[in-house]
Amino acid sequence: MFGYKGGNMAIDSLKIMHAIMEGSKIRDEKGIIPLFGVYLSLYFTSYYNIISYDFISGMGKRRSEKAEKLLISAAQECGYSTFHGIRRSWEWEELVQPMLETVDDQIEGFLSVATAFGWGGEMEVIELIPGNRLHFRVHESYESVGYLKRQGIAKVGKCYMLRGLVAAFMDLLYGDAYPNGCFTFSAIETFCRAKGDTSCEFIAEKSST
Amino acid sequence: MFIDWQDKLKRIGNQVVLFDIPITMHCHHYNINLQKMLEDILGSEGVRLMYKAAEESNHTAFKIMLEEYKRIRSDKSKLEFAASIYQHCGLGVISFQDVGPNGGRIISPSNHHVTGWLAKYGLRKTPGCHFTRGWIAGILEVIYDLPIGYFEVREIHCKMMRNTVCEFDVRIQRGQHGD
Repeated sequence: MFGYKGGNMAIDSLKIMHAIMEGSKIRDEKGIIPLFGVYLSLYFTSYYNIISYDFISGMGKRRSEKAEKLLISAAQECGYSTFHGIRRSWEWEELVQPMLETVDDQIEGFLSVATAFGWGGEMEVIELIPGNRLHFRVHESYESVGYLKRQGIAKVGKCYMLRGLVAAFMDLLYGDAYPNGCFTFSAIETFCRAKGDTSCEFIAEKSST
Repeated sequence: MFIDWQDKLKRIGNQVVLFDIPITMHCHHYNINLQKMLEDILGSEGVRLMYKAAEESNHTAFKIMLEEYKRIRSDKSKLEFAASIYQHCGLGVISFQDVGPNGGRIISPSNHHVTGWLAKYGLRKTPGCHFTRGWIAGILEVIYDLPIGYFEVREIHCKMMRNTVCEFDVRIQRGQHGD
Protein backbone atom coordinates (compact mmCIF):
# COMPACT_ATOMS: atom_id res chain seq x y z
CA MET A 1 0.00 0.00 0.00
CA PHE A 2 1.18 3.51 -0.73
CA GLY A 3 2.46 5.28 2.35
CA TYR A 4 4.26 8.44 3.32
CA LYS A 5 7.35 8.64 5.51
CA GLY A 6 7.92 12.05 7.08
CA GLY A 7 10.22 14.74 5.76
CA ASN A 8 9.53 15.15 2.06
CA MET A 9 6.37 17.20 1.97
CA ALA A 10 6.25 20.66 0.47
CA ILE A 11 5.32 22.51 3.66
CA ASP A 12 7.47 25.31 5.00
CA SER A 13 6.80 24.79 8.72
CA LEU A 14 8.97 27.70 9.81
CA LYS A 15 6.91 30.10 7.74
CA ILE A 16 3.69 28.85 9.35
CA MET A 17 5.17 29.05 12.85
CA HIS A 18 6.42 32.55 12.24
CA ALA A 19 2.98 33.67 11.03
CA ILE A 20 1.35 32.24 14.16
CA MET A 21 3.89 33.77 16.55
CA GLU A 22 3.35 37.15 14.91
CA GLY A 23 -0.44 36.75 14.63
CA SER A 24 -0.70 35.77 18.29
CA LYS A 25 0.68 39.19 19.21
CA ILE A 26 -2.30 40.98 17.67
CA ARG A 27 -5.34 41.59 19.85
CA ASP A 28 -8.52 43.44 19.04
CA GLU A 29 -9.85 46.20 21.31
CA LYS A 30 -11.67 43.57 23.38
CA GLY A 31 -8.43 41.76 24.21
CA ILE A 32 -9.39 38.82 22.00
CA ILE A 33 -6.99 37.13 19.55
CA PRO A 34 -8.82 36.15 16.38
CA LEU A 35 -6.45 34.01 14.32
CA PHE A 36 -6.89 31.25 11.75
CA GLY A 37 -10.67 31.42 12.16
CA VAL A 38 -10.65 30.79 15.93
CA TYR A 39 -10.29 32.83 19.12
CA LEU A 40 -6.91 32.08 20.59
CA SER A 41 -5.73 32.32 24.19
CA LEU A 42 -2.21 32.07 25.55
CA TYR A 43 -2.01 30.43 28.93
CA PHE A 44 0.25 28.41 31.16
CA THR A 45 0.58 24.70 30.45
CA SER A 46 0.26 24.08 34.19
CA TYR A 47 -3.41 25.15 34.03
CA TYR A 48 -4.28 22.55 31.42
CA ASN A 49 -2.33 19.86 33.24
CA ILE A 50 -4.09 20.56 36.53
CA ILE A 51 -7.45 20.37 34.76
CA SER A 52 -6.69 17.04 33.06
CA TYR A 53 -4.98 15.18 35.86
CA ASP A 54 -7.17 16.49 38.70
CA PHE A 55 -10.25 15.71 36.62
CA ILE A 56 -9.14 12.08 36.42
CA SER A 57 -8.43 11.98 40.17
CA GLY A 58 -11.75 13.69 40.85
CA MET A 59 -13.58 10.97 38.93
CA GLY A 60 -12.12 8.32 41.24
CA LYS A 61 -10.44 5.02 40.39
CA ARG A 62 -13.61 3.34 39.19
CA ARG A 63 -14.31 6.04 36.63
CA SER A 64 -10.75 6.96 35.64
CA GLU A 65 -11.01 5.15 32.30
CA LYS A 66 -14.19 7.05 31.53
CA ALA A 67 -12.44 10.29 32.49
CA GLU A 68 -9.59 9.56 30.07
CA LYS A 69 -12.06 8.82 27.28
CA LEU A 70 -13.89 12.08 27.97
CA LEU A 71 -10.67 14.09 27.80
CA ILE A 72 -9.70 12.42 24.52
CA SER A 73 -13.18 12.94 23.05
CA ALA A 74 -13.22 16.60 24.11
CA ALA A 75 -9.89 17.12 22.38
CA GLN A 76 -10.91 15.18 19.26
CA GLU A 77 -14.14 17.10 18.88
CA CYS A 78 -12.37 20.40 19.37
CA GLY A 79 -9.44 19.45 17.14
CA TYR A 80 -11.99 18.60 14.46
CA SER A 81 -13.76 21.99 14.75
CA THR A 82 -10.57 23.95 15.28
CA PHE A 83 -8.66 22.59 12.31
CA HIS A 84 -11.74 22.73 10.13
CA GLY A 85 -11.90 26.45 10.98
CA ILE A 86 -8.18 26.80 10.47
CA ARG A 87 -8.19 25.34 6.98
CA ARG A 88 -11.10 27.58 5.99
CA SER A 89 -9.41 30.73 7.30
CA TRP A 90 -7.93 33.40 5.06
CA GLU A 91 -4.55 32.87 6.76
CA TRP A 92 -4.55 29.21 5.67
CA GLU A 93 -5.77 30.15 2.22
CA GLU A 94 -3.01 32.68 1.74
CA LEU A 95 -0.14 31.06 3.60
CA VAL A 96 -0.55 27.29 3.65
CA GLN A 97 -2.76 26.41 0.71
CA PRO A 98 -0.14 27.42 -1.89
CA MET A 99 2.32 24.95 -0.30
CA LEU A 100 -0.06 21.99 -0.52
CA GLU A 101 0.58 19.61 -3.37
CA THR A 102 -1.69 16.78 -2.24
CA VAL A 103 -4.55 16.34 0.23
CA ASP A 104 -2.14 14.42 2.47
CA ASP A 105 0.12 17.47 2.73
CA GLN A 106 -2.53 19.03 4.97
CA ILE A 107 -1.30 16.80 7.80
CA GLU A 108 2.07 18.49 7.68
CA GLY A 109 0.35 21.89 7.67
CA PHE A 110 -1.73 20.86 10.70
CA LEU A 111 1.39 19.70 12.55
CA SER A 112 3.14 23.00 11.87
CA VAL A 113 0.19 24.85 13.40
CA ALA A 114 0.15 22.49 16.40
CA THR A 115 3.89 22.99 16.90
CA ALA A 116 3.48 26.75 16.73
CA PHE A 117 0.72 26.54 19.36
CA GLY A 118 3.25 25.02 21.77
CA TRP A 119 1.54 21.65 22.05
CA GLY A 120 4.55 19.42 21.88
CA GLY A 121 7.73 20.90 20.53
CA GLU A 122 8.93 19.22 17.39
CA MET A 123 6.32 16.99 15.78
CA GLU A 124 6.95 14.61 12.92
CA VAL A 125 5.00 12.26 10.72
CA ILE A 126 6.54 8.80 10.87
CA GLU A 127 4.10 7.21 8.46
CA LEU A 128 0.92 8.19 6.71
CA ILE A 129 -1.12 5.65 4.83
CA PRO A 130 -3.77 7.86 3.24
CA GLY A 131 -7.25 7.03 4.42
CA ASN A 132 -6.02 4.36 6.83
CA ARG A 133 -3.32 5.20 9.30
CA LEU A 134 -1.29 8.04 10.72
CA HIS A 135 1.72 7.41 12.94
CA PHE A 136 3.36 10.48 14.39
CA ARG A 137 5.91 11.44 17.01
CA VAL A 138 5.94 14.36 19.44
CA HIS A 139 9.15 15.22 21.21
CA GLU A 140 8.03 17.44 24.06
CA SER A 141 4.34 17.11 24.70
CA TYR A 142 3.35 19.57 27.44
CA GLU A 143 1.01 16.94 28.84
CA SER A 144 3.74 14.34 29.39
CA VAL A 145 6.21 16.92 30.70
CA GLY A 146 3.55 18.26 33.09
CA TYR A 147 2.54 14.80 34.30
CA LEU A 148 6.14 13.84 35.06
CA LYS A 149 6.61 17.06 37.00
CA ARG A 150 3.38 16.78 38.99
CA GLN A 151 2.97 13.07 39.47
CA GLY A 152 6.11 11.20 38.43
CA ILE A 153 6.38 8.19 36.14
CA ALA A 154 3.11 6.95 34.71
CA LYS A 155 2.04 3.41 33.86
CA VAL A 156 0.14 4.43 30.73
CA GLY A 157 0.29 7.25 28.17
CA LYS A 158 -0.91 10.62 29.47
CA CYS A 159 -1.25 12.76 26.34
CA TYR A 160 -5.02 12.86 26.03
CA MET A 161 -5.21 16.09 24.09
CA LEU A 162 -2.73 14.87 21.47
CA ARG A 163 -4.49 11.50 21.17
CA GLY A 164 -7.71 13.28 20.31
CA LEU A 165 -5.91 15.63 18.00
CA VAL A 166 -4.20 13.04 15.82
CA ALA A 167 -7.51 11.23 15.32
CA ALA A 168 -9.17 14.55 14.47
CA PHE A 169 -6.59 15.19 11.74
CA MET A 170 -7.50 11.89 10.10
CA ASP A 171 -11.24 12.57 10.57
CA LEU A 172 -10.86 15.85 8.70
CA LEU A 173 -8.86 14.42 5.84
CA TYR A 174 -10.43 11.01 5.34
CA GLY A 175 -13.74 11.01 7.24
CA ASP A 176 -17.10 12.10 5.86
CA ALA A 177 -17.44 15.78 4.98
CA TYR A 178 -17.56 18.19 7.92
CA PRO A 179 -19.43 18.05 10.32
CA ASN A 180 -20.20 14.33 9.89
CA GLY A 181 -16.73 12.81 9.98
CA CYS A 182 -15.74 13.28 13.62
CA PHE A 183 -14.80 10.04 15.46
CA THR A 184 -14.30 8.09 12.22
CA PHE A 185 -10.78 7.52 13.53
CA SER A 186 -9.41 6.89 17.00
CA ALA A 187 -5.85 6.98 18.27
CA ILE A 188 -3.65 5.16 20.73
CA GLU A 189 -0.47 6.40 22.36
CA THR A 190 2.23 3.78 21.92
CA PHE A 191 5.09 5.62 23.63
CA CYS A 192 4.91 8.43 26.18
CA ARG A 193 7.52 10.50 27.95
CA ALA A 194 5.41 10.27 31.07
CA LYS A 195 6.16 6.52 31.05
CA GLY A 196 9.88 7.18 30.70
CA ASP A 197 10.05 6.89 26.90
CA THR A 198 12.18 9.39 24.98
CA SER A 199 9.22 10.82 23.05
CA CYS A 200 5.49 10.30 22.61
CA GLU A 201 4.10 8.39 19.62
CA PHE A 202 0.56 8.10 18.38
CA ILE A 203 -1.21 5.89 15.87
CA ALA A 204 -4.60 6.83 14.48
CA GLU A 205 -6.67 4.23 12.65
CA LYS A 206 -10.30 3.75 11.71
CA SER A 207 -12.49 3.35 14.79
CA SER A 208 -13.72 -0.20 15.33
CA THR A 209 -17.33 0.86 16.06
CA MET B 1 5.56 50.99 32.63
CA PHE B 2 7.09 49.51 29.48
CA ILE B 3 6.88 45.79 28.89
CA ASP B 4 8.62 44.46 25.81
CA TRP B 5 6.02 41.86 24.87
CA GLN B 6 7.94 40.92 21.73
CA ASP B 7 10.74 39.77 23.98
CA LYS B 8 8.53 38.20 26.65
CA LEU B 9 6.46 36.02 24.30
CA LYS B 10 8.81 33.85 22.31
CA ARG B 11 9.97 30.38 21.45
CA ILE B 12 12.82 28.85 23.41
CA GLY B 13 13.78 25.67 21.62
CA ASN B 14 10.62 23.63 21.36
CA GLN B 15 8.65 25.57 23.92
CA VAL B 16 6.54 28.70 23.66
CA VAL B 17 7.15 30.82 26.74
CA LEU B 18 5.81 33.95 28.36
CA PHE B 19 8.34 35.41 30.81
CA ASP B 20 10.19 32.09 30.39
CA ILE B 21 7.19 30.17 31.75
CA PRO B 22 5.87 27.47 29.38
CA ILE B 23 2.59 28.41 27.78
CA THR B 24 0.38 26.90 25.16
CA MET B 25 -2.05 28.44 22.72
CA HIS B 26 -5.52 26.98 22.74
CA CYS B 27 -8.60 28.17 20.95
CA HIS B 28 -12.10 28.73 22.26
CA HIS B 29 -13.23 25.30 21.01
CA TYR B 30 -10.89 23.52 23.42
CA ASN B 31 -11.27 25.89 26.36
CA ILE B 32 -15.03 25.87 26.17
CA ASN B 33 -15.20 22.12 25.54
CA LEU B 34 -13.18 21.54 28.71
CA GLN B 35 -15.49 23.84 30.68
CA LYS B 36 -18.62 22.13 29.38
CA MET B 37 -17.19 18.69 30.12
CA LEU B 38 -16.27 19.67 33.69
CA GLU B 39 -19.68 21.21 34.34
CA ASP B 40 -21.63 18.34 32.77
CA ILE B 41 -19.69 15.53 34.42
CA LEU B 42 -18.65 16.88 37.81
CA GLY B 43 -21.15 19.73 38.32
CA SER B 44 -20.08 22.16 41.05
CA GLU B 45 -16.93 20.11 41.69
CA GLY B 46 -15.96 20.64 38.04
CA VAL B 47 -16.57 24.37 38.34
CA ARG B 48 -14.39 24.38 41.46
CA LEU B 49 -11.64 22.48 39.64
CA MET B 50 -11.54 25.05 36.85
CA TYR B 51 -11.41 27.90 39.37
CA LYS B 52 -8.65 26.26 41.43
CA ALA B 53 -6.57 25.41 38.34
CA ALA B 54 -6.70 29.04 37.16
CA GLU B 55 -5.96 30.32 40.67
CA GLU B 56 -3.00 28.01 41.28
CA SER B 57 -1.38 28.40 37.86
CA ASN B 58 -1.79 32.17 37.89
CA HIS B 59 -0.53 32.50 41.47
CA THR B 60 2.69 30.67 40.58
CA ALA B 61 3.24 32.51 37.29
CA PHE B 62 2.40 36.03 38.46
CA LYS B 63 4.89 35.74 41.32
CA ILE B 64 7.63 34.93 38.79
CA MET B 65 6.58 37.82 36.55
CA LEU B 66 6.61 40.34 39.38
CA GLU B 67 10.05 39.12 40.45
CA GLU B 68 11.30 40.17 37.04
CA TYR B 69 9.82 43.67 37.35
CA LYS B 70 10.93 44.76 40.79
CA ARG B 71 10.30 48.38 39.83
CA ILE B 72 6.59 47.66 39.89
CA ARG B 73 6.08 48.40 43.57
CA SER B 74 2.68 49.94 44.23
CA ASP B 75 -0.43 47.78 44.37
CA LYS B 76 -2.02 49.98 41.71
CA SER B 77 0.87 49.37 39.30
CA LYS B 78 0.76 45.63 39.99
CA LEU B 79 -2.96 45.59 39.19
CA GLU B 80 -2.29 47.46 35.95
CA PHE B 81 0.45 44.99 35.10
CA ALA B 82 -1.96 42.09 35.72
CA ALA B 83 -4.62 43.68 33.50
CA SER B 84 -2.09 44.09 30.70
CA ILE B 85 -1.11 40.41 30.98
CA TYR B 86 -4.78 39.40 30.82
CA GLN B 87 -5.18 41.42 27.64
CA HIS B 88 -1.89 40.30 26.16
CA CYS B 89 -2.78 36.64 26.63
CA GLY B 90 -5.97 37.15 24.64
CA LEU B 91 -8.02 36.57 27.79
CA GLY B 92 -9.88 39.86 27.42
CA VAL B 93 -10.14 43.20 29.17
CA ILE B 94 -10.30 43.51 32.94
CA SER B 95 -10.60 46.56 35.15
CA PHE B 96 -9.49 46.52 38.78
CA GLN B 97 -11.07 49.79 39.84
CA ASP B 98 -12.33 49.06 43.29
CA VAL B 99 -10.30 46.36 45.00
CA GLY B 100 -7.94 46.07 47.96
CA PRO B 101 -6.62 43.55 50.48
CA ASN B 102 -10.12 43.15 51.93
CA GLY B 103 -11.76 42.45 48.58
CA GLY B 104 -13.83 44.59 46.24
CA ARG B 105 -15.41 44.65 42.80
CA ILE B 106 -13.83 43.97 39.42
CA ILE B 107 -15.30 44.44 35.95
CA SER B 108 -14.55 42.63 32.70
CA PRO B 109 -16.27 44.19 29.69
CA SER B 110 -15.10 41.36 27.41
CA ASN B 111 -13.24 38.10 27.72
CA HIS B 112 -12.17 34.99 25.82
CA HIS B 113 -14.48 32.61 27.68
CA VAL B 114 -17.54 34.81 27.12
CA THR B 115 -16.78 35.20 23.40
CA GLY B 116 -16.03 31.48 23.10
CA TRP B 117 -19.06 30.29 25.07
CA LEU B 118 -21.48 32.52 23.19
CA ALA B 119 -20.00 31.44 19.85
CA LYS B 120 -20.36 27.74 20.69
CA TYR B 121 -23.39 27.47 22.94
CA GLY B 122 -25.19 30.84 23.14
CA LEU B 123 -26.63 32.35 26.32
CA ARG B 124 -26.44 30.64 29.73
CA LYS B 125 -28.71 30.78 32.73
CA THR B 126 -25.87 30.87 35.24
CA PRO B 127 -22.59 32.84 35.37
CA GLY B 128 -19.83 31.07 33.45
CA CYS B 129 -16.53 32.91 33.95
CA HIS B 130 -15.03 30.34 36.34
CA PHE B 131 -11.61 30.71 34.74
CA THR B 132 -11.54 34.48 35.25
CA ARG B 133 -12.74 34.11 38.86
CA GLY B 134 -9.79 31.84 39.64
CA TRP B 135 -7.43 34.03 37.64
CA ILE B 136 -8.47 37.09 39.71
CA ALA B 137 -8.05 35.21 43.00
CA GLY B 138 -4.52 34.12 42.06
CA ILE B 139 -3.51 37.66 41.07
CA LEU B 140 -4.87 39.34 44.19
CA GLU B 141 -3.31 36.75 46.51
CA VAL B 142 0.10 37.46 44.99
CA ILE B 143 -0.30 41.25 45.07
CA TYR B 144 -1.36 41.30 48.72
CA ASP B 145 1.07 38.53 49.66
CA LEU B 146 -1.59 36.09 50.75
CA PRO B 147 -1.84 32.31 50.44
CA ILE B 148 -3.78 30.50 47.74
CA GLY B 149 -7.40 30.17 48.79
CA TYR B 150 -7.47 33.40 50.79
CA PHE B 151 -9.99 35.10 48.53
CA GLU B 152 -13.29 33.85 47.22
CA VAL B 153 -14.30 35.43 43.91
CA ARG B 154 -17.96 35.29 42.88
CA GLU B 155 -19.40 36.43 39.58
CA ILE B 156 -22.49 38.55 40.12
CA HIS B 157 -23.13 39.60 36.53
CA CYS B 158 -22.07 37.69 33.44
CA LYS B 159 -22.22 38.53 29.75
CA MET B 160 -22.98 34.87 29.06
CA MET B 161 -26.36 35.68 30.71
CA ARG B 162 -26.94 38.81 28.64
CA ASN B 163 -25.57 41.22 31.28
CA THR B 164 -23.67 44.17 29.83
CA VAL B 165 -20.43 43.34 31.65
CA CYS B 166 -19.04 40.56 33.81
CA GLU B 167 -18.76 41.76 37.40
CA PHE B 168 -16.88 39.97 40.14
CA ASP B 169 -17.24 40.30 43.88
CA VAL B 170 -14.09 39.51 45.87
CA ARG B 171 -14.33 38.57 49.53
CA ILE B 172 -12.06 37.05 52.11
CA GLN B 173 -12.82 33.35 52.30
CA ARG B 174 -14.58 32.30 55.49
CA GLY B 175 -12.02 31.16 58.06
CA GLN B 176 -9.29 33.38 56.58
CA HIS B 177 -10.09 36.53 58.62
CA GLY B 178 -7.46 37.40 61.19
CA ASP B 179 -10.09 38.25 63.79
